[in-house]
Amino acid sequence: MGGGNIKLESLIKRFDDFTAVDDISVEIRAGEFFSLLGPSGCGKTTTLRMVAGFEPPTSGEILLDGVDVGNWPPHRRNVNTVFQSYALFPFLTVAENVAFGMKYKSVPKSERDDRVAEALGLVQLTGYEHRRPNQLSGGQQQRVALARALVLRPSVLLLDEPLGALDAKLRRALQVELGALQKQVGITFLYVTHDQEEALTMSDRLAVMNHGRIIQLGTPEEVYNEPVDAYVADFLGVSNLMDARVESGGNGQRPCRLRLGDFCLEAQTGQLDAAGAVKLAIRPERIHLHPYETSGDNLVPGMVERLVFLGSTTHVYVRLASGSALQTLVRNDGAALPYSQGTPVSVGLPADSLRVLPDPGVSVAEIHEKTTGDQVLDVTSTTPS
Amino acid sequence: MGRRQDTFDRRNRWLWVALAAPGAIWLLVLFVAPFYVMLSVAGGGVNEFYQTVVPVWNPLHWSSFNFTGVWHDIVGTGAFIGSPALRTLLYTAVAVAVSLAIAYPVAYFVSRYAGRRKALFLILLIAPFWVSYMMRMLAWIDLLQQGGIFNSALSSVGLPGNTDWLGGKSVTVVLGLVYGYIPYLILVLYAGLDRIDQRLLEASRDLGLNKWRTFWQVTVPLSKPTLIAGAFITALPMLGDYFTNQLLSGAPGTTMIGNAIEGQLDSPGETGQGAVLALMLLVVLLIPMIYYAVSTARSSSEFA
Amino acid sequence: MASTVDKPVAARSGVDKLAWRGRPRGNPWRRPWLMEGFTWLYIAWSIVPIAIAVLFSFNKGASQATWQGFSTKWYVGSQVTSVLHNPSLHQAVIQTLVLAVLTTLICVPIGVGFAIGIDRWRSRTSTGLNFVMIFSFVVPELLLAVALFLLVTQALTFIRLGTSAEVAGLVVWNISWPAIIVRARLITIGNTYEEAAADLGASRIGAIRRVLLPLLMPAIFASAVLVFASTVDDFVIVEQLSSTAATQPMSVLIYANVHGGLSGPALNALATIMLVISVAAALIGYAGYRWMTRGEGTSKRGTEALTGITGI
Repeated sequence: MGGGNIKLESLIKRFDDFTAVDDISVEIRAGEFFSLLGPSGCGKTTTLRMVAGFEPPTSGEILLDGVDVGNWPPHRRNVNTVFQSYALFPFLTVAENVAFGMKYKSVPKSERDDRVAEALGLVQLTGYEHRRPNQLSGGQQQRVALARALVLRPSVLLLDEPLGALDAKLRRALQVELGALQKQVGITFLYVTHDQEEALTMSDRLAVMNHGRIIQLGTPEEVYNEPVDAYVADFLGVSNLMDARVESGGNGQRPCRLRLGDFCLEAQTGQLDAAGAVKLAIRPERIHLHPYETSGDNLVPGMVERLVFLGSTTHVYVRLASGSALQTLVRNDGAALPYSQGTPVSVGLPADSLRVLPDPGVSVAEIHEKTTGDQVLDVTSTTPS
Repeated sequence: MGRRQDTFDRRNRWLWVALAAPGAIWLLVLFVAPFYVMLSVAGGGVNEFYQTVVPVWNPLHWSSFNFTGVWHDIVGTGAFIGSPALRTLLYTAVAVAVSLAIAYPVAYFVSRYAGRRKALFLILLIAPFWVSYMMRMLAWIDLLQQGGIFNSALSSVGLPGNTDWLGGKSVTVVLGLVYGYIPYLILVLYAGLDRIDQRLLEASRDLGLNKWRTFWQVTVPLSKPTLIAGAFITALPMLGDYFTNQLLSGAPGTTMIGNAIEGQLDSPGETGQGAVLALMLLVVLLIPMIYYAVSTARSSSEFA
Repeated sequence: MASTVDKPVAARSGVDKLAWRGRPRGNPWRRPWLMEGFTWLYIAWSIVPIAIAVLFSFNKGASQATWQGFSTKWYVGSQVTSVLHNPSLHQAVIQTLVLAVLTTLICVPIGVGFAIGIDRWRSRTSTGLNFVMIFSFVVPELLLAVALFLLVTQALTFIRLGTSAEVAGLVVWNISWPAIIVRARLITIGNTYEEAAADLGASRIGAIRRVLLPLLMPAIFASAVLVFASTVDDFVIVEQLSSTAATQPMSVLIYANVHGGLSGPALNALATIMLVISVAAALIGYAGYRWMTRGEGTSKRGTEALTGITGI
């Protein structure tokens, strides 16, 4: 039994005239929690299904611990899947569900009960052996599905958006649990999701996908702080994309000088040697709001348009004098905010947080549409009477 | 993600073919082939001596012998097919109309307003489904006899109580058809109406349409496919019915096309003509049958 | 709206007018008495004649119209005319049961196999076969009966008229019950359970055996009950394909004797026996269906079972 190393080499999957997976190559290390992140239709689920064995690849190789299993049927691979709908067999009890696959692994009957108990213990469902799936909550069903897969001790576990059907609070709790479980069991997890928060929370590394390709691959910190293009930046949280023009390019020593409307800014991260039209991105937590009269580098005048109270934080929507709409956030630590709706402010965009990204040639709104999969109304443009 | 072909299945195609094979073979041998035999008999001849059928298997050798015989039966002197054919159409049309008029309100009531008593109503509506056609006709034969309960009831309220209801009355046959086939219609309509999303109707009311308008502008259009399917599933068997007339009338004045076919088949020397008649009925019904088959196939795949 | 708030007195009539025009006539939540009454009328019209016929099968006299007292002579009492003792009546009951059991035993397995096979075998041939199957129940029974009669007498004469021909025809006529009901259930189930089974190590056939068939059991059971009941009640095909009196089930015997022949109440007794058999099948079907779907806890299991066993 191998360690659970997965290598996808030039993997392509075509359905009639539609290319779902367009040449993917990636190596997932043994014992890693690896996520495929992207919107619906980006090819992440198809990739997962190819690794599981439910779809044969059109071309390319799927190497499990060095062996090309691309055309092997699912029951021959040492890989197990947790399905989005859990797929628990309704006519079997929890224990019978968990024990289902052991018959094919020639596990002696005497050992089966112990393994079932062990697996249920892992997912904290001891005592539920004789219940039926329809008597369990969504979270419990998901855990049974996990136990059913883990009891077979696969080298790789595939998870297809398993938390999608659960409500937000439960989802967050289970995210933490899943991450801990993976570390405890030590096997490779290949996780598919469209929720960037999930991917950031649990993964050792993640790959952002779109249109069947991997756009960026890296650790959560890398992908969040150093997005390689506007799409990735916008997909992983708020990116505050702005249109700007390069005045003079930069490099390791020199920052890039840019023009945002009538204002001059300097940026020290991203594609510093770009020229012409670019997109600028900055994370909301990096923006600082100063009183209006403040002067200094990378300060742009603006106005607070709207404040949205979120409990632990407040989202502050500001509009720059250049026209761009930005979102920043402030921790609610008890102190009153020195501004309110309509207050003029000076918006600080620190150069080491400001990122230059290549311009994909489309507007910011269109990028929002692609990453959210829907048309987004510009909330900040509604002015109250 | 939409066009996910289950290539899992392509690998095991032999298995699916093997599973479907017994049923497929049975259908081909005992459903498709018989109609070819019918064609061969229709296009065949008669053994003059024994008055038995001589089927002709090669389509190139089919003769029009039986067809001319039937043609004479329809338009020649002594023609006798015309009236049953027209009568069949008339009876069926009236019976389907009456059935729909009764079935729709009942199905509508049970699916929309029955509330907690829905199971009770369903049982009562489904019950006749499990009673054989024979028994349902038998029940009415008992009631409509001379000296039977129905006539007694009529005379007890002052109406004439000596009508021979079973002696060849169209009314009896038509109502018999209605009584016989309406349970199926109600169930089909119920199923269709029940499937209409209650929320669509609530939205309509919310948007300002009153009950009547909601019914005509929302419910009826939504139930149109069900109505058509129901009308078909009722009309098609009625058009081939012969036993209702035999049971409830038995007189030549109320015969339907089914009786004509039966009669020809049983007469020695005219079996071939019976086959022709059956084929003609089949051809006439082919278009509605195909329409129904296509819409059934389409709707069953929409369940996915 | 602001104006009516500011000037309550002057605008009150305007508001009232609006209210009157928009107010529904009567209570919108009132019970629909007319429809309900109509429904009950229909139910009475539908069931009462049958109840009377059943009642008269227990008539002491030989009339189907005048009640002469209660007796079970048509069933077991009389040596000559009761179902138990009269050989032809007796034989008819047995023949009905034989046909029903044989047909169900053949029709359900091949129908289920057909449903599963056609669903997964995606090709033009399978679509064509599906159409043929739909045609098999859409075509008027008389035409099929005639065609089968000709087949058996002119072509496949090794199938002689009688029980084997009757069963063959009944299987064709009823194959659409399992084919359609099981197929519908199959579509609802979807692929995921079998994929899960395969993922856990089952081969294709193993997944069908251990996962798909148990999931399909309610539908298979319901279709078996329907085939059984449909065969008990069948008339047209059986009449056409029967040979001697020994191969005539109850439905044909009743038809042959309605206008004379066996005395009335005996026919009622036969028909009542058919009714009892069908209703028993329905009850077994309902109970069985509910028991089998006990793992799928929904609140409306009663009505679902009812519609499930009638194949809606």
